[in-house]
Amino acid sequence: MSAGRGPGAIEGPPSSPFTELIGGRFEEWSEDCVRISLVLEPHHTNPSGVMHGGVITSLMDEALGQVIAAARGLETMQVAPHSTVEMNASFLAAARPGDRVVVEGRVLRLGKSIAFGEAEARRGDGELIAKGRLTFAIHDRSG
Amino acid sequence: MAERGVAPFTAFIGAEMEELREGYARLSLVLQERHTSPNGAMHGGVIMTLMDSALGASLGALRGQEARRNPHATVEMNAGFLAGARVGDRIVVEGRVIHMGKSIAFGEAEARHNDGDLIAKGRLTFAIRGGSR
Repeated sequence: MSAGRGPGAIEGPPSSPFTELIGGRFEEWSEDCVRISLVLEPHHTNPSGVMHGGVITSLMDEALGQVIAAARGLETMQVAPHSTVEMNASFLAAARPGDRVVVEGRVLRLGKSIAFGEAEARRGDGELIAKGRLTFAIHDRSG
Repeated sequence: MAERGVAPFTAFIGAEMEELREGYARLSLVLQERHTSPNGAMHGGVIMTLMDSALGASLGALRGQEARRNPHATVEMNAGFLAGARVGDRIVVEGRVIHMGKSIAFGEAEARHNDGDLIAKGRLTFAIRGGSR
């Protein structure tokens, strides 16, 4: 489960198999921010040849799931896992094969049963390409 | 570049187009280990990807040749996740165009378990480039 972390990549908990399938690479993993990058390849596109929206929404979901994990602590999370209940994203600009995209996730508020977060996706040149808001439910199995 | 209506990214993650007609598309996927989160359940990105693809394709089928001249692109999407799904589950995602204007199109998507249980519901908005009808 560590294929997403090449040389120089940071240490952290297991990333999602789905994120590894897509090719996302963790650049930062802390309770303040989780940052994932990806260099777009032809298999990340839609029929018009630009980046598929699902690439960004998948990385946003991963970044938020991970930053909430960092904030909650891995042990807590194993007892009471969290999962996405709602997300939205606005796509402001396109990206193409060869472009590097960077997605950052941050926690807005961490409650007992609900966590709120936001995510931003930028191209390598710094341009904001998408903005998202995500809500997670925390499932306390001990209750 | 790709099988009719199926985005390279959608084919890459393993989804199949089951039905495609004007304003409607249905995709399916059998969940495998590679589609999961660290907790072993389906990653939300799988559903978001299939919803985006289903709507993009259904709108493409509705617009026909015009979609090649002036491609459409997702500008906004949301989804509510109502239930989880696990490895081995077959999920079906349907996308429907609700309204198509000159420069904007609206659609909705539903993801269900094979047995019909609703897993997620989404709303998507597309921009139509160079819309001039």
